[in-house]
Amino acid sequence: MSKWFKRAVTSLAALLLLLGIIGGTGSGLLTAVTGSTLAIAEGAESTATTGGGQTIVMGTSPDYPPYENTDAKNGGKVVGLDIDIAQAIADKLGYKLEISGMDFSGLIAALQTERVDFVMSAMSVTEERKQSIDFSDSYYAARNTIVSKKDSGLTTMASLEGKNVGVQLGSTQEEAVAGMESTSKITKLDKIPNLIQEIKAGRMDAAIVEDAVAWGYTDANPDLQFTILDPNPNDLGYAIAFPKGSELTAQFNAELQKMKDNGELQAIIDKWFGALGQDDSKKVSKSGLDFSILDGYVGYIFKGIFVTLLFTFVSALFGFIWGAILSLFKISNIAPLRWFATAYTSVFRGTPLLLQLFLIYYATPQLFNYDIPALLAAGLAFGLNSAAYLSETIRGGIMAVDKGQREAAIALGIPYKTMMFSIILPQAVKNILPALVNECVALVKESSLVSVIGVADLMRRASVVQAATFRSFEALLLIGAIYYVLVLLLTSLAGLLERRMRRSD
Amino acid sequence: MIKVDNISKTFGKLAVLHGISTTVERGEVVAIIGPSGSGKSTFLRCLNLLEVPTSGTITIDGVDITNPKTDMMQVRQRIGMVFQHFHLFPHMTVIDNITFAPMRVKGLSKEEARAKGLQLLERVGLADKADVYPSKLSGGQKQRVAIARSLAMDPDIMLFDEPTSALDPEMVKEVLAVIRDLASSGMTMLIVTHEMNFAREAADTIYFLDGGRLIERAAPEEFFVRPQSERAARFLEQVL
Repeated sequence: MSKWFKRAVTSLAALLLLLGIIGGTGSGLLTAVTGSTLAIAEGAESTATTGGGQTIVMGTSPDYPPYENTDAKNGGKVVGLDIDIAQAIADKLGYKLEISGMDFSGLIAALQTERVDFVMSAMSVTEERKQSIDFSDSYYAARNTIVSKKDSGLTTMASLEGKNVGVQLGSTQEEAVAGMESTSKITKLDKIPNLIQEIKAGRMDAAIVEDAVAWGYTDANPDLQFTILDPNPNDLGYAIAFPKGSELTAQFNAELQKMKDNGELQAIIDKWFGALGQDDSKKVSKSGLDFSILDGYVGYIFKGIFVTLLFTFVSALFGFIWGAILSLFKISNIAPLRWFATAYTSVFRGTPLLLQLFLIYYATPQLFNYDIPALLAAGLAFGLNSAAYLSETIRGGIMAVDKGQREAAIALGIPYKTMMFSIILPQAVKNILPALVNECVALVKESSLVSVIGVADLMRRASVVQAATFRSFEALLLIGAIYYVLVLLLTSLAGLLERRMRRSD
Repeated sequence: MIKVDNISKTFGKLAVLHGISTTVERGEVVAIIGPSGSGKSTFLRCLNLLEVPTSGTITIDGVDITNPKTDMMQVRQRIGMVFQHFHLFPHMTVIDNITFAPMRVKGLSKEEARAKGLQLLERVGLADKADVYPSKLSGGQKQRVAIARSLAMDPDIMLFDEPTSALDPEMVKEVLAVIRDLASSGMTMLIVTHEMNFAREAADTIYFLDGGRLIERAAPEEFFVRPQSERAARFLEQVL
């Protein structure tokens, strides 16, 4: 059993090393895992004068085809209308372009902290945003549409009176329904696939979304239709965003104007909007489940298994070790250690895990001036949270070890630390093994929460595929099956381990 | 070798030991007897500070072990203890139980510790059980392993706390044989026991405790034939 503990110590060292790697190389490993940052400008002209081959970083939220999305079928590159425009401008200015993928809500913060040089992410120009960032001229003005079930007759804003209407939370379409709240029921959801699903389920009559989105979803869901609304004269369109006072703004505007004049911009727009109607893989005749749409995406989703497992392993190991230390604090003679461990457990058990995750991910850069990678933040949050629960479980296990074991160790002159780690804890762990397995199983499944901060785990990849296929259920059912198999494997492994540990009975 | 000066022990309001004083010479074998609840085990456990006396001092080879500044780890390494319920480490094999403390506390190499452990197992008659887990052993075998485990630390003093009380009758003999063998080798020992015959033949001195007091301290032939106190006489009447 001392071997067992040597192994645990070795694993701890490995964990620290791993955390070090994640922390040290910063976005390096994060990139490897999320696969969303890609230098795609190897061929940038070195002869150009302005940029001189410098690299500029573009921030984008790659979940909004055809503007930008992760091309899950082809190695997870970020592609789309915005990328092509950015690439064209960067080429002309002589910059190398690098894409950094992140959540839409994090883009403006990334600009302000200059983690990126500019942002193209189908971002509308608004007065509020202008307060904190600069915009280029508009390159495209999207039109709003009403999406509803076929034959619903909901084709004008007037027809939506008294209906249940959905929009995406935080989108510019919120403005379009701003005056309707007294006459219609407005529901705001985080994600467009959820809006579409609500319409299909009959819980929502219609949704206001922009044209490109409507096009994609009605194409993939033949039971839906859409109607394009009149352009909003107040809509300033989509533009490229820069940090306040950036030199790039003028350079980009000049190139953008040239592209408008020579028709290059329109060609790119036509290419991407035209492609929407032509991609046969999205043409689905059935309105029920059709797993053939996942063809080509399965490999991309399967890569998420590694991320999910790595993450679960790191947080379980960290949680166990920290939990064991906390449980020792709890039975310690030193009062401040006891108080600390008790308060710690109380706080981490008493607040939602999702909140802890958000705080660690978003507050760390501000508090410690350290740009914490998403995977590290997630591992930390889950480990810290899990430790709070495990410390109680382990404490119970320690209490259940016969008092005579301690006395025998003390009588042999064995020091406290050696006694705890080599004699008491191994027996405690054996007692609580079923509870530990429960915790691991819970971690595997809860790990899906990390997709909210952009870690490309199974859940996140399913969302990407949802966005790319404009279909809701198929990808979710696939990862559901994967999670289930992972848990099955984990429990059988635990069964083996338990039998091994019961050798001494 | 051991000098006990006026020690008392109270648990909360319950007084268990009342001012016990005595001395134990090197090589002396002491059997501690008395009715249940008389404080025998508590007295024994005070000698290696598993219980800390409420007052009084205990000196071992001139070192006051009741002084909080004394490094008890050092002292305990010199005092072996065998418990009523063995307290073997269930997750370790027999040989690992024996070699653990010598390796981790005294810094013996694995080979040294193992060679010595096997020798001790030989001595208690269990050489063939080195690699089994304690759960596979009978009570008597467990207790003999526990004795070997204590001896592996080369103690100067051995404490036995009712070493045969948890054993089936047919196992008692084998354990007593080991203890007797140890006594004749010159080890300083204190044994709390209910085995009167064993106490009589193996001990140099009998301590009779009652009500937390050391009532009589005498050679076995003296004690068992002519007990001085009425309480000892009554006790012997009941057990013999």
